Amino acid sequence: MKPIEIIDVDVSYGAKKILEAITFHADAGEILGIVGPNGSGKTTLLKAMSRVVTRDSGEIRLDNRDLDTLGHRELARQVAVVPQDISIGFDYTVRDIVMMGRHPHIGRLASETLRDVEICDHAMHLANVAYLAGMSVHDISGGERQRVLIARALAQEPNILLLDEATSNLDVSHQVEILNIIRDLTGRITVVSVFHDLNLAAYYCDRLLLLKDRKVYATGTPEEVLTYENIRAIFQMETLVKPHPLTGKPYVLPVYTHQSNVGANRRVHVVCGGGTGSNILHLLHAADFTVTCGILNVMDTDYGTAMRLGLPCVAEPPFHGITPGSLADLRQRLDHADIIVVTTMPIGRGNLDNLRVLLDYPAKPILLYSGSSNSVMEDYTGGEAGAVLTGLEAHGALQVEGPEELLASLSQGHLKRE
Amino acid sequence: MRRTALIAIPALTCTLLVSIACAVALGPTGISLGSLFASPNAWTIIWDVRLPRVIAAALVGCALAVAGTAMQGLFRNPMADPHIIGTSSGGALGATIAIVLFAGQGRPVFAFAGAMAATFAVYFIARKGGKIPVETLLLSGIALSTLLAALLSFLMYTAGQSLHQIMFWLMGGLWNVSWDDVFVALPVLLGCTGIYLFARDVNILSLNEEDATHLGVNVERLKQILLALSAFVAGIAVAVAGSIGFIGLITPHVMRLIVGPDHRLLFPAAALAGAILLVWSDTLTRTFTNDMPVGIITACFGAPFFIYLLRSRMKA
Repeated sequence: MKPIEIIDVDVSYGAKKILEAITFHADAGEILGIVGPNGSGKTTLLKAMSRVVTRDSGEIRLDNRDLDTLGHRELARQVAVVPQDISIGFDYTVRDIVMMGRHPHIGRLASETLRDVEICDHAMHLANVAYLAGMSVHDISGGERQRVLIARALAQEPNILLLDEATSNLDVSHQVEILNIIRDLTGRITVVSVFHDLNLAAYYCDRLLLLKDRKVYATGTPEEVLTYENIRAIFQMETLVKPHPLTGKPYVLPVYTHQSNVGANRRVHVVCGGGTGSNILHLLHAADFTVTCGILNVMDTDYGTAMRLGLPCVAEPPFHGITPGSLADLRQRLDHADIIVVTTMPIGRGNLDNLRVLLDYPAKPILLYSGSSNSVMEDYTGGEAGAVLTGLEAHGALQVEGPEELLASLSQGHLKRE
Repeated sequence: MRRTALIAIPALTCTLLVSIACAVALGPTGISLGSLFASPNAWTIIWDVRLPRVIAAALVGCALAVAGTAMQGLFRNPMADPHIIGTSSGGALGATIAIVLFAGQGRPVFAFAGAMAATFAVYFIARKGGKIPVETLLLSGIALSTLLAALLSFLMYTAGQSLHQIMFWLMGGLWNVSWDDVFVALPVLLGCTGIYLFARDVNILSLNEEDATHLGVNVERLKQILLALSAFVAGIAVAVAGSIGFIGLITPHVMRLIVGPDHRLLFPAAALAGAILLVWSDTLTRTFTNDMPVGIITACFGAPFFIYLLRSRMKA
């Protein structure tokens, strides 16, 4: 028996379809997160579950009972909702608001008992608002007000707690504080929450439901749902999805692309390594250059970036020096390149050839790129790499610093070396 | 619950009782305690003229204040009162019809019927798909009131000799109130008790409708009940005393400042305060102003106070 089951639910506002054929369930005591882009129907789905919105067809079952057979008060004893933020017009105290959560438990002719007061006290304690009990809801902060609404929901003693982006308007420390409170409730209460922030959802939810265009696109654990492919399909955006270094949960980093056509398909070869080239590979790619890179070790961060961006890359297997085959490949790339960019990568015996080969191209414009003024090339070759660099500079290679200067240099036409 | 709230209800109750006693003692004819038993005339004035009038004033004040409180809670707007849902203009039209067409016969019945009919008309105009959005309710109330006011003007235009009587009635007053009128007004207490039973629901509704649904309030049914009961008590008030303004608007406001927004206290506090206000207003008019319509007194005090509230809200 599932605490909440949604079976083939359709919802529309007038002629406009909002949700189509939604089917899922929540397991007892878990946190289920609903994620998806704006307009995908997340909030409407939650409203259908709290019966604020009527559905066209399909069934919603709470503990195997049809949602529609429950009376208003009975429903409020089963399901509590924490809204996004509500403005409270009249000047109630925090305790007044929390006590309203007892309403479905108190008969029309009865008034609140000592037990109701105790339940409210406990709810306020759990939501960490006990110290605010006597304050007016007008005199507390947004984060505190949101915790008051959680306390009110807990005072309903529900089996199911629905949260509609309950933390979206708060700063991150308050978001985490509130979600930790919710996390501590699991086991006792089944939580279904709409999340705007994928990373908070990934960390706090046991399972996720991903909505796209009114339909369920994916369900499963955060690892299963928050994949690079899913996120690109849903949000039409490039992201990096990595395990969070501390929590191990998937962590989504948006790749901010500012598209331009400075590059005009000119060919740039980037000699990089050790992660020094990732940002400019991305930058040049977005600026419409035809980018190649190498020679890189396949374990290198820059190699991963090149692969993700789909850039041609000359590569070697791990713990390998540069082979004559790869070097020939590299020469071919360099022959075709209009411009060569060299980053301040660490240079050892293994990749010194990358640099040395450039001496054979005195006519090509070469830019020596450093990410910032304090990044210098780490030389593990006993001075040989430094000598090559000096040689390149003697032939007219230019130093550029930072992505903006790099783009500015590339956008100028006079990159011909004398 | 505020500390002032605990003493507010007993204090208001005592004030009301004292007010009623004073109001019965005061009047254009000076009556000493001694003459009460000596002259049967004095007894008649006290028992058959003043007492029913004072009690009717208390009941009407109570009805207007409770209906106003309910409307402010329902509309989540502290500027709402029974006028807003057409109750007063419906009652006025009903009474005017009785005066013009039936020479004043059955005027209270017509006024009550008009008040109820107007409220239900507003309700059904605003209703769509089993729901009544409060914004629509508000606008349809204003629209219907305007229409009724036009009809009223037309009747007054054609009224001829009875125009004076209509004018008096429209300004509101408690002339010639007898014990019969008191019995007519008594169901007000029933209606107010009915409204009080929903005090906790109104508290929750005053947050926000969706939120109230989440807390187990059947919002649409609550609206119907509040509208029906408010129209009932305000309709009786209009039938007995004509349209008396501002009691329904000001009393809930002042009481909210004193006892706080909890309707379980606010309803009884407003009921008592509304009664006190109208008892004193009526005593003032019949003792010092040669029985000027009491609506003029309440408007004279109420309107400036309303403007003051409006200004202080604009600052906030």
